Amino acid sequence: MSIQFKSITELNELLDNKAISVLELTQESIQLAKKYSELNCFVTLNEENSSNRASAIDRDQKNTSLLSGIPLAQKDLFCTEGLRTTCSSKILSNFIPPYTATVVEKLEDAGSITIGKTNMDEFAMGSSNETSFFGSVHNPWKKGFVPGGSSGGSAAAVAAGIVPAATGTDTGGSIRQPAAHCGITGLKPTYGRISRWGMIAFASSLDQAGPLARSAEDCAILLNSMSGYDSKDTTSLNSDVPNFLENINQSIKGKKIGIIKEFDLSDLDTEVQKRFDESKKAYENLGAEFIEVSLPNISASVPTYYSIAPAECSSNLSRYDGVRFGHRAENTDDLNDLYIKSRSEGFGDEVKRRILIGTYALSAGYYDAYYKKAQQVRRLIKNDFDQVFKSIDLLMTPTSPYTAFKFESKGTQNPVELYLEDLFTISSNLAGLPAISIPHGQVNSLPVGLQLIGNFLREDELLNAAHVFQQNSDFHHAKPNLENFK
Amino acid sequence: MDQETVRTICYLARLEIDQNKSVKIQKDLETIIELIGSLQSIDTFDIEPLYNPLEMTAFKHDDLETSDNKKNKFLENAAESNEDYFLVPRVVE
Repeated sequence: MSIQFKSITELNELLDNKAISVLELTQESIQLAKKYSELNCFVTLNEENSSNRASAIDRDQKNTSLLSGIPLAQKDLFCTEGLRTTCSSKILSNFIPPYTATVVEKLEDAGSITIGKTNMDEFAMGSSNETSFFGSVHNPWKKGFVPGGSSGGSAAAVAAGIVPAATGTDTGGSIRQPAAHCGITGLKPTYGRISRWGMIAFASSLDQAGPLARSAEDCAILLNSMSGYDSKDTTSLNSDVPNFLENINQSIKGKKIGIIKEFDLSDLDTEVQKRFDESKKAYENLGAEFIEVSLPNISASVPTYYSIAPAECSSNLSRYDGVRFGHRAENTDDLNDLYIKSRSEGFGDEVKRRILIGTYALSAGYYDAYYKKAQQVRRLIKNDFDQVFKSIDLLMTPTSPYTAFKFESKGTQNPVELYLEDLFTISSNLAGLPAISIPHGQVNSLPVGLQLIGNFLREDELLNAAHVFQQNSDFHHAKPNLENFK
Repeated sequence: MDQETVRTICYLARLEIDQNKSVKIQKDLETIIELIGSLQSIDTFDIEPLYNPLEMTAFKHDDLETSDNKKNKFLENAAESNEDYFLVPRVVE
């Protein structure tokens, strides 16, 4: 029996009915990963450990959670004790973490099985997965096209049906944009909802872990296990975590959805626009009411982000010095030379570019003009959100201005061209708000994503609105033709 | 931005850029600086910077000793170490 493309609930039922054992399920998931190795979505497979763990779960015969015995993939920036964690960078290509990230620990405590670590943009810096030291990931919908990024490997593994769900991280859209490009569902929770401990840092005030799956319901199952206070993360929120499955099916009649006036959708591809209008209509038919709202400073999100994120990155990535872990250059003259050569050999071009921008923005004489200024504009952006959420429940935008594009077709001459991929997603990271991307059709045989942004800690509303949409449509059931990847 | 500034930033970041990529990097940095420079036109007089979306005091946990000594595991990831220390090129002659 093929387990490919089955949901977590369906797999759980098969396990419950003893139609398949946990070991069989795990091994088939690993076989699928191998069969579609050309997609390049995994950096490391966890074959032996996951099989041993599956056998142990079969022996215990305890199926207490919906995630019990479910194979998952983890983005390769979550530390996993004893299992190589690279951040898709040469500088960490030999790094074996001495501890496991809280997120992975929580998912494994719920009974899930980590079958491997997924490819990503190096240190999560990118929107196409092309900056990975381990090579680009193919979009399962079209060979030679990007899956989006940075969580491109996780999105591709889910879209290809290798695993029902995977973890990702989102600093400026890195869960939602690849979810959109691969035709799956991806949720960026509220900042602080999920522990960042053991998650390799890119930009600490923006980074947030979250689930990628083929439906909002499966995202809710993962979110239930991933969320919660962690004393090891000083920015972890100590607030109640609801059961995200509980109200997922309730009516959205009367919900007020805001359309952002400042985003001129007429600039978009007409087909992308059409999908958006069709989904708006679908939500109206479900009883939602649309209101045009103004977020006067939202257009400044991209420049604000590209000042703050590189600044935090330059600080976070200063730890890679070739001394305690990671790549170390040979034949160096002295300690300074060791730092310079190890870092220069270990980091790729995009990471270097961002470290340099951040170093510049934080350097004497420029701090106020670039870094502090961006943090002030960030406050204005957040204030705008606070204001509109007084009168609406959700905001709706396209996830990305475009569909997936061909390898090496964007950003090679001008990096800013690729930065604009994140136009619609970045503002919720700056404000710390939750947002979800759901598939809502295709343009030229490539998936398009719809983004919903929620108020602080209202992932339940996002999941509810996404689930009800999915109960009344079948875009999330569309499957890519994987013939070309055999 | 000129090549001298690029060299200074590279040194501050402890990075070396290939000679043949230096002009491209300078151009890229100029483009990005121009992008973030566009924020100057926004009036932020008297606006407090927002360094973290949560704006709360960081939680602190008790500073307790744990029995979990992973010294060897940490040392294993170093390119060079002896039984107690990370090794680096000689600093003091």
